[in-house]
Amino acid sequence: MATSFAGVPIFDYEALASILFFIGLTGAIARRNPLVMLMSIELMFNAANLAFIVFARAWLNNAGQIFAFLVITVAAAEAAIALAIVVVVFRSAPQVDVDEVRVLHG
Amino acid sequence: MANPEHVMGVVGSYPLLVTLWLLPLFGAILCWAFGPQLKRAAGWAATLIAFLAFGLTIASWGAGTQSLNGALGADQPLVSWMAGFHLGLLLDPLSLLWACIITGVGALIHLYSIGYMEGDSAFARFFAYMNFFLFAMLTLVLSDNFVGLLIGWGLVGLASYFLIGFWFYKPSAVAAARKAFVINVAGDVGIMFAIFLIVQKTGSISFGNAFAAADTYGPTLLLAICISLFIGAAAKSAQVPLHTWLPDAMEGPTPVSALIHAATMVTAGVYLIARCAPLWSHDGNAQLLVGTIGGVTALVGAILGMVQWDIKRILAYSTMSQIGYMIMGVGVGAYEAGVAHFFTHAFFKAQLFLGSGLIIHALANEQDVRRMGGLRKRLPFAFIAMLVGVLAICGIPGLSGSFSKDAVIQGALDRGHPWLYAVGILTAGMTAYYMFRMLFVTFFGKYRGDVDPSELGIRHPEFAGTETHLADDGHEQHHAPAWLMNVPVAILIVPSIFAGWLLYGGANSPWHRFFDPQFGVGHFVGVPISEMTTTLVTLACVAVGILVAYLRYGTKVAREKSVERLRRESIGMSPILANAFYFDVALDALFVKTSEALGRLVSRILDPHVVDGAVREATIVTQWSGALVRSFQTGLVRAYAVFLAVGIACFAAFYAFHGVH
Amino acid sequence: MIAFWIIAAVLIVSALWTVTARKPIYSVVSLLLNFAALATTYLILHAEFLAVMQIIVYSGAILMLFVFVIALLNSGIAAVVLGRDRVPVAPAAAAALAAVAFVATAIAAAHAPAIAPIATHSPLGAVGRGNVFGSIGDFGQALFLSRLLPFEITALILMVAVVGVVLLAGDLTPYVPTRRRAEQTRRALREAILREGK
Repeated sequence: MATSFAGVPIFDYEALASILFFIGLTGAIARRNPLVMLMSIELMFNAANLAFIVFARAWLNNAGQIFAFLVITVAAAEAAIALAIVVVVFRSAPQVDVDEVRVLHG
Repeated sequence: MANPEHVMGVVGSYPLLVTLWLLPLFGAILCWAFGPQLKRAAGWAATLIAFLAFGLTIASWGAGTQSLNGALGADQPLVSWMAGFHLGLLLDPLSLLWACIITGVGALIHLYSIGYMEGDSAFARFFAYMNFFLFAMLTLVLSDNFVGLLIGWGLVGLASYFLIGFWFYKPSAVAAARKAFVINVAGDVGIMFAIFLIVQKTGSISFGNAFAAADTYGPTLLLAICISLFIGAAAKSAQVPLHTWLPDAMEGPTPVSALIHAATMVTAGVYLIARCAPLWSHDGNAQLLVGTIGGVTALVGAILGMVQWDIKRILAYSTMSQIGYMIMGVGVGAYEAGVAHFFTHAFFKAQLFLGSGLIIHALANEQDVRRMGGLRKRLPFAFIAMLVGVLAICGIPGLSGSFSKDAVIQGALDRGHPWLYAVGILTAGMTAYYMFRMLFVTFFGKYRGDVDPSELGIRHPEFAGTETHLADDGHEQHHAPAWLMNVPVAILIVPSIFAGWLLYGGANSPWHRFFDPQFGVGHFVGVPISEMTTTLVTLACVAVGILVAYLRYGTKVAREKSVERLRRESIGMSPILANAFYFDVALDALFVKTSEALGRLVSRILDPHVVDGAVREATIVTQWSGALVRSFQTGLVRAYAVFLAVGIACFAAFYAFHGVH
Repeated sequence: MIAFWIIAAVLIVSALWTVTARKPIYSVVSLLLNFAALATTYLILHAEFLAVMQIIVYSGAILMLFVFVIALLNSGIAAVVLGRDRVPVAPAAAAALAAVAFVATAIAAAHAPAIAPIATHSPLGAVGRGNVFGSIGDFGQALFLSRLLPFEITALILMVAVVGVVLLAGDLTPYVPTRRRAEQTRRALREAILREGK
């Protein structure tokens, strides 16, 4: 296993992926606009993809790339459905604030 | 584990046997399904089927008595479920004898019933039940395995339940039916337990395998099997202390009493023990136990028979006593004698019941002998029938009962049970007493049906308000032709007198030649009392019994003062005897009361505190945990995102500390 | 190496901008920048096909969807009224914990011993050449030969998503006039029958 490529240690790539994931997670938790939340989630997906691809490269095993492909597909499906939900919610409520949609309250 | 070579009979295809078995079931379904259309023809159809079944039994005679390489009789495989569990039909001399009685006597009683049940609103249903009983009983005796036997055992109990409670608008009949069913089911459980033990040991349910392994069980297991089987036999055959249902079962129609509760079903216990002779022959303790209980039953039945006033209850206790003889015979190992007593008893007891049915029918359902009397001239045919039956049951030489009863008594002595021998002789004398007592009270003296019941000491007349009348003019009440009821009784008189002669000739008699292949030649302990001595002693005892009965009820003076005597006897009866030795009370205290106490205990302590308590605790835990989990369900999507993040963090932390592998 | 640091800086800055932008459309633009930078990273890591997919699917399809929805929502109502965004203590702590744990896992994974290669892998070569690791041909062979089942599952997921979106956001109102029309017809018929009766 290569511990670095193009002069950059594998650890740096992983750290980058972690930072991106953390930024996305913070956005998903802190923002109240559903669209921004969704974009934050896309950021998290991409961070995960980056990690997959780094390890695929490290082990020269394209299973990681295949999985990243799968993640992209899931992300696309997720985006489509989530946006559909946003549209539906917006149809019934005048404002798009996730904190106002609380029908799941137990 | 199963040894297919251990079959009882010659394996083959016997269409006659299968037809014989299924024909009554067909009849039952026919009468049940098309009863409203068939009307009276239902009775004739059922009777025809019973006679056909008898014909088929006779036609199967050759198959049932054949012998090949040690296999005796005919074995027809039916269903193979899995290794060791093969159901089939077996016709060997033992089951052939039973099948003959079931279908032969059964057919005659069917014919009789057409007359007896005339005008009953559920005429077709009665015959459906009767044919169903034939099917059940044939299943019992024709099975070549324990499971088939148990199925038949349960089905005859069911048929008995149906027929005892046939007049379901009588509360006493319903109670009697339920009692009979419950006690019989208790017996079924005993047999089931025995089957479990046998299957556990041999891995097979067939008679052949169970008996072939008889000497491998070991004494404890063998005794356990024998006792379990005998619990079933005792319940079905009304042995002490499980006999209390039989007198109550007389609530059913009289033909039912004749067929089921005298001739066939109640002798199933005798069949079971004779069938399992290889097991009993290996276990002296079981023989002693069964023989003793048979002897005690014979004695108890006779004692209680002496104080009954209901004609059918007299006969019921007599039946119980006679089955006690049979059980004693097969119990001590005198299988041929015990089975012979079943054979002759089936005839004369059926005849006695049918004869009593003639009286009951003529007196519009009066059953109390105190309200009869002087019927000899009014019902001469019934008198002759009853007289022959009484003479036969008493063991008057030359009639059937004497041969078989003496054989049983002698058999008990030969196998080394002098006490049972003494009990047998004593019981014979008591039998003679109560039978002649019934005869004198019923047929001699003057008619007491018009006497006020209280003058006769009848405290609770069973048919209060019903005018008891003599059927002088039977034409007025649309009775069936008399021959319908008289012919079967007349036919039964012949075997009642002559059937015993099959036993004549000692070891060379036709009976022994028929059964020796089945039971082998018995071994004797050899007490030096000859058969002739036994017969003479028994006869002396019987003569004493008859004499006492004559002195008490038969003399001219006694006949004149019969009303006063009967009242005195009724009122002065010992409470022990009036309550039939408190068997009902004892059983009630032992089982019913304890069950009720247990039920109360459970319902007051176990149920509210343990069962309900557990449920309550469960609901509390559920509510509490539900409240806890509910607090997470804020409805805020971002809160869910936080929980998700925490979960991911936990997973990640686990892998960070544990490593990715 | 320098390229990596530049790209990393672009990635982080654009990600922060995405999360913090006041208007969603700014988030979309910064996210576009982020995705482009990420596609470059993929190229460095010999994932040619995925780099292309990143541009086409993410930038081309998904971000366009976001833009479309923003346009849709803004056209209906004047402005989306929102309260002030704030980062509560507990979520922030959870996110920080998650980030720490994630980094720790990444380190653990980076130092884990190699597992045996699962797929046949091609030799490493210059990006853009055929039959080297990560080339279109290499990826396609893996996708259609050894990884066919995940690929087919992907198709299934997409179909489920399509059905779900149609059910969620699809316009079912055309049925209502039909029902109303049927009610009107029935009423007219009843009145006609009543008139006949008179």
